[in-house]
Amino acid sequence: MRAKLAFVAAGVGLLLAVASVQAHHAFAAEFDVTKPLTLKGSLIKWEMVNPHSWFHIAVKEPDGKITEWLIEGGSPNQLIRMGVTKNTVPIGTELTIEGYRAKDGGLKAVGRNFVLADGSRLFLGGSAPGGTPADKK
Amino acid sequence: MNCRSLVSIGALVLGVAVLASTSVAGQAPASAVKAAPAAKAAPAGKPYTPPKTPDGQPDLQGFWTNSTYVPLERPQGVTKEFYTPDEAEEAIKKAAAREAEQTEPGTTADVHYDFSQFGLDRSQSTIARNLRTSLIVDPPDGKIPPLNAEGQKRTAERAAARKAAGGQYDSVQNMPIGSRCIIMGGSGPPMMNAGYNANYQIVQSPGYVMILTEMIHDVRVIPLDNRPQPPSGVRQWTGVSRGRWEGNTLVVETTNFNGKNGFRGATENMKVVERFTRVSDDAIDYKFTVEDPATWDRTWTAEAPLAKTDGPIFEFACHETNYGIANILAGARAEEKHKAEQAKKGSN
Repeated sequence: MRAKLAFVAAGVGLLLAVASVQAHHAFAAEFDVTKPLTLKGSLIKWEMVNPHSWFHIAVKEPDGKITEWLIEGGSPNQLIRMGVTKNTVPIGTELTIEGYRAKDGGLKAVGRNFVLADGSRLFLGGSAPGGTPADKK
Repeated sequence: MNCRSLVSIGALVLGVAVLASTSVAGQAPASAVKAAPAAKAAPAGKPYTPPKTPDGQPDLQGFWTNSTYVPLERPQGVTKEFYTPDEAEEAIKKAAAREAEQTEPGTTADVHYDFSQFGLDRSQSTIARNLRTSLIVDPPDGKIPPLNAEGQKRTAERAAARKAAGGQYDSVQNMPIGSRCIIMGGSGPPMMNAGYNANYQIVQSPGYVMILTEMIHDVRVIPLDNRPQPPSGVRQWTGVSRGRWEGNTLVVETTNFNGKNGFRGATENMKVVERFTRVSDDAIDYKFTVEDPATWDRTWTAEAPLAKTDGPIFEFACHETNYGIANILAGARAEEKHKAEQAKKGSN
């Protein structure tokens, strides 16, 4: 297994990878580097559009109340090219989001890592629920 | 450190020439890695003859990418024009490894989604191979010529105007044009590597060539009938392009830019001449020359090959969920409010 996936298999699943190419906009202007967070919840909706995906997540608060968070991810175009569809990540999928909260204090964050219930990272190595991207071609 | 800086530094440190499109250990999942098509070049000594469209044009049609790690300008410390294949392979491995590096939690670079989770790191898509150390081939030093006096004066005036307009996040109008989803560098002309989703579709019909840019869904419809350029009052973000065939090379001249996204500091009177020559089934030799006497005292030329890739092109409707603009502006206002409250507390 490739190194990046080995990290995941080891349960580290944190803060891998990297900013490699140009971003559409300045994320550090939108999200607060001093407000890292980890959210656990289930997928309500995936806005699979541009310039960035937005994942709507239902998060259960300690008092039992459910709040909806919006999590910003990447452009879906390459995922689509690889065979990923909205059905690849069914509504209700349990996700752990590691990221940073919006500067305006709203229930919004950038998803630094999207981690599935089994510890694997969403979309990497065919880890998406329902089959690998390659299977969907 | 922002992503752009990482790229620049990576290029400087690694002296990257090309990125392997084949699988790189420790990189993207095998299922996702796109092997770059091996160039099916003509046998040595026999020139490649491109296929023809039904109306007789050399056929450039299909899906192409200009994704590359080769920097526009030659990195400091590199003096030669080409890397050897071995040097290129080594650079490829290092560059791919660098893309997979962890970012440090709590740093600006870490405040981002992971490109690799969305298939947007370059090892997960086709790369246009190029052994060059810079895309710029003229001047011979691989650098953009220095701005002339007029160019420097205008650049200073533009900077002063931006400063007078206030902070970058004071208003939508002050934000970068790309962030506002108006236009990005992939459209050009010249067509520059967009960083990700760096894909194009070329379609030809009798008398026309159409180039669709994935980032961000701009189209150039280029007539081939020698019609003149429109009057100088007609100005467009991507200028106005006119094409002609010189043998098997499509030559496209573009003028009539609107000047609002001046390429590398150029004016609306910039002229770009592009040359597209299909050199194999899987590659187009793409060269462009930029001319703007109000900015540079000489023209400059770059080669940025296009490699065949998989289609189709997916819509990049950039405004669709560009919530980032509102979020950034709201964040800036929240920070201002916080600072004002802190200052008030301090003065009490």
